[in-house]
Amino acid sequence: MRRFLGMLLFAMFGPVALVLLSYGLYWVVALVEHFTSGHGLPPTYGAAIANVLLLMAGVVMTTAALLTVGERKWSAMIQNRIGPNRIKVFGTSVGGIFFLIADALKMLTKENIEPSQRSRLMYELAPMAAFAPSFVLFAVVPVGPSVDIAVGTAVHKVALQVASIDAGLLFVFGAASLAVYGTALAGWSSNSKLAILGGVRASSQMISYEVSLGLALVGSMMAYQSLRLEEMVQAQGQLLWGFLPALGVFLQPVGMLVFFASSFAETKRAPFDLPEGESEIVGYFVEYPGMKFGMMFLAEFIEVVVLAGITAAIFFGGWHPILFEQTLKDTFGEASVAWAAICAGAFLCKVLLLCWLQLVIRWTLPRFRFDQVQKLCWKMMLPIALGNVFVSGALILLDGSLHLLAAVGLVELVAMVLLTAAASKKGEVPAPAHAAAHAAPGH
Amino acid sequence: MPYRLDDTAADLRERLYFPEVIRGVGILMKQFLRNFFFGREKNPDMLARDRSLSQNATLQYPEERVPYPPGYRGLHRLVPREDGRPRCVACYMCATICPAQCIYIEAGELPDDPIEKYPTKFVIDELRCVVCGFCVEACPKDAIRMDSGEHAPPSYTRAAQIWDEKRLLRGPPVSYQYDPWLRRGASSIPAEKLAEMKANAKPFSTVATDEYAQTPGFSVKNLAAEAKARGETLARK
Repeated sequence: MRRFLGMLLFAMFGPVALVLLSYGLYWVVALVEHFTSGHGLPPTYGAAIANVLLLMAGVVMTTAALLTVGERKWSAMIQNRIGPNRIKVFGTSVGGIFFLIADALKMLTKENIEPSQRSRLMYELAPMAAFAPSFVLFAVVPVGPSVDIAVGTAVHKVALQVASIDAGLLFVFGAASLAVYGTALAGWSSNSKLAILGGVRASSQMISYEVSLGLALVGSMMAYQSLRLEEMVQAQGQLLWGFLPALGVFLQPVGMLVFFASSFAETKRAPFDLPEGESEIVGYFVEYPGMKFGMMFLAEFIEVVVLAGITAAIFFGGWHPILFEQTLKDTFGEASVAWAAICAGAFLCKVLLLCWLQLVIRWTLPRFRFDQVQKLCWKMMLPIALGNVFVSGALILLDGSLHLLAAVGLVELVAMVLLTAAASKKGEVPAPAHAAAHAAPGH
Repeated sequence: MPYRLDDTAADLRERLYFPEVIRGVGILMKQFLRNFFFGREKNPDMLARDRSLSQNATLQYPEERVPYPPGYRGLHRLVPREDGRPRCVACYMCATICPAQCIYIEAGELPDDPIEKYPTKFVIDELRCVVCGFCVEACPKDAIRMDSGEHAPPSYTRAAQIWDEKRLLRGPPVSYQYDPWLRRGASSIPAEKLAEMKANAKPFSTVATDEYAQTPGFSVKNLAAEAKARGETLARK
């Protein structure tokens, strides 16, 4: 009972803590901006630097690092285990987060064993090439709305977004495609058969999934008529028929499913973990020791966080809190920092929930065979994504106010729910012949 | 394979793939929330655990232990007599039958009871022991038992695994009606103690029963009941 109450409190005050954190982030960014613009730098310079440090190095890195422990702990809960809990400080293990420090120490102090026939420059470059692109993706994700903050007499426009560029989603696709260079390089430069198998698998898988990843978002681009993520998020705040928020998940349910599945392949995690395939080839990083391996490992988790952020921004309303949105807006006022902080907190909540969902799916499904992966991509997801582009385009052409698109999207959602609920009885396992023996203790 | 796998082709719904994935994710989420919000029951008797809330099956081993089942061949003990001396008469039966040759005995004579021998040295090398239980079967005096309910503890040295009679002689004493010191008396046992021992002595069983196969008072069921009485189950009122 104590655990239940504790977890309930955690679930209730977690979002509140995230809102407070966002409030702090806004003010820090505003103060840095105030400092730099006071010293003659052009506007938004300080804010951009502060955002890079706080959002990318702070929020994303921390979340990704915590996810490494979270994965172990959550998978334990899914599988009726306890998970890591042996490192205790003052008698408490606090969900096993001390394993983070232990893991980092282990990685950093490992002996540096390198294959003698490696291609030196490429070998050293590969972990960085794998790490950086997944990291840089987060630059265009809007964490919070832009708001005017007055520091003293000066008023600064502050948004929790590193870079607001016109290309927006195109930048996302470009940077995401770069990530494969790291894995392919790692596989090739290690001069190991297993590693190059992993690298080749990685490149063929990533190239196939880039296509459906991009096509899945075309529908959203057409619906919101923008490539900038912050404009797509703003467009999702409008209400259809006066009550339904124009979320991507309602307008583009098929696009969402295809994008989510493709982003799974992009993160190189189960069920698409063929580049690693621990049980068969160990993977493209098999020859990397210590922190070089750690960077590739962490890159996966960073990609999980970043793709959760992009999914949240395009399909789940970004920083719109959705629940009680109008009440909160009226209470705090649209121009206030408090309202912006609530929005940013809501976005962080969505990102964490999507990260959790990705981990749950990762533990649900076993690894695909390679031909199944290719079949799923080229024969299923690509036609679906293409069809989605044409259907969405036609619906937007017929009705520019998105009502028709939303109606069709809702029908698709309902169909999906019905299909999921209609479980077939066929797969039931017949009772074993010695059923009575199963009931006996110790059988 | 206990049952035949149904090898019929998947229907359209299953070939759509996503509905089944969503169902699977739902099952895992249920399991996650269940173990997230509710704690593990700590009852070491796994079969008696209430698994309606959390289904966590882990036993935190060094802190929580499952009691070994009755009949478990654990660490040896030399059964004492009521006066604290071993029942062993140094007949070498156990040392002779031991397939691992891990028992070493040196016999001596009791000064007050010159009819019987006793072991001046009784050493078991627990590292060589194969835990076959032949020594227990061979003993004509029921003087060596493996009913301690524990296994050999780990140690950093080999020497610590060599148990001598000082470490082996432990546990509750056992008396039988045929015990010679009960019939003729012994100078080390006072008269009233002897009378009490005679009253408590039992006939030697020719059939293996739980009572002879395990440590006196040891029972999985009792342990589970005690744990419940201590309130170690999840309170759900």
